[in-house]
Amino acid sequence: MVELDKYLIVGAALFVLGAIGFLTRRNLIVMMLSAEMMLHGVGLNLVAFNYEHGHNQGQSFTIMILTVAACEAGLALVLILALYKRRKTLDVDVWGELGEAKPLCDVRLERRSATAEPAEEEETADPRLTPAGRLPRFNKQETATRV
Amino acid sequence: MLSPQTAVFAVSDIPLAIVLPVIAIGLSLMWMLPRGGRAPSRLAKVLPLTLVWGSLFSLIGFGRFAVGEVLFGVFATAALLAGICMITSRNSAYSALWFAVVTLSVCGLFLLRSAPFLSAATVIVYAGAIIVTFLFVLMLAQQEGTAGYDATSSNPLLTSVFGMVLFGSLIVGITSWPKEAISVASAGPIETPAAEQTANVKGDAPLAAAPPAQTHRYFKSDETALANAWSRHPEGEVGSLHGLGRSLFGDYLFAVEFAGTLLLVACIGAIAMAPRRPQGTL
Repeated sequence: MVELDKYLIVGAALFVLGAIGFLTRRNLIVMMLSAEMMLHGVGLNLVAFNYEHGHNQGQSFTIMILTVAACEAGLALVLILALYKRRKTLDVDVWGELGEAKPLCDVRLERRSATAEPAEEEETADPRLTPAGRLPRFNKQETATRV
Repeated sequence: MLSPQTAVFAVSDIPLAIVLPVIAIGLSLMWMLPRGGRAPSRLAKVLPLTLVWGSLFSLIGFGRFAVGEVLFGVFATAALLAGICMITSRNSAYSALWFAVVTLSVCGLFLLRSAPFLSAATVIVYAGAIIVTFLFVLMLAQQEGTAGYDATSSNPLLTSVFGMVLFGSLIVGITSWPKEAISVASAGPIETPAAEQTANVKGDAPLAAAPPAQTHRYFKSDETALANAWSRHPEGEVGSLHGLGRSLFGDYLFAVEFAGTLLLVACIGAIAMAPRRPQGTL
């Protein structure tokens, strides 16, 4: 077997193991680690080809991958902490529904109809789009004369 | 072995020496993934691990008893077995530690492929920064140890089949890749003229003078792939700090600047998104 093939096979195995881990595990942090292992497999491929070609392009690419992996890990951990703060668990199945629990207009209607309860306030502490404000009232006759 | 000339493969062309190990690896992984209930005993883990190791190295080939081959075997074994332990461990802190083992073994493989700077950088970035951060988040978020969702996995059967198909097709692609078409039959390094060598050593050669053409071990000299003539390095410079620095700050200067900007943006984003307490409390 050619020397290059051995490294390619190890890289492929690392990539597939990472993919399986990403798809099966339910812990958010283990999923992130599996994604990093996929990056390791790709980096190993690049370095093996780099050695065969005899220049430094593959290693330069791998350093770029390293940079992106560092950024990705930092941002992912912040997001995981934010998610954990909401539901107090690292289980990914909790986040199966991506939609908001209640549409914003319904929340507003409820507020208008009844006094808001404190529990409801806590529920609406989700990050939401900025409300667009009150609908402007048009004077029909005035707009008609303007046009 | 597949003939490289055939453009279309039949499924029956795939040799059993590839199919059987891949199926063995998939079955062992399916057996080892957490499926609820009690954790399997240590013996029940060692058996599939041995099976996976044997299958993988029947694909890779055991090689001769030389130093390079033995080192490759040690590092590859450590990387793959630690990877399997990582995705099958029921304790996420142990998963992070197994990932550190994977990182160190991959760095060993980098060293064998003459990438010393890259392997040092990978150790620093991954084992020094990323793993520690992951462990901190685990410490903050999962203080009670093993949780219920760690003991089960979603769709282990389907995912193992997916992994088997993906890995098998990758192996078939790698082993049947027609290397004869691009390999140079007897490529020795071309002797460079003495005058150019001295100019290179001094480092004061005018930029207009192209460095000597290089040939490589398996591939033709790919001059078309390298726009900048100065990024073709003499034989000893692959992966060295000198060569890598010249490649990064010569060919890829914009990419390096862009990577720096990316790090800055990620840093600002992480600070902006971090969950914080009300003001005045720690």
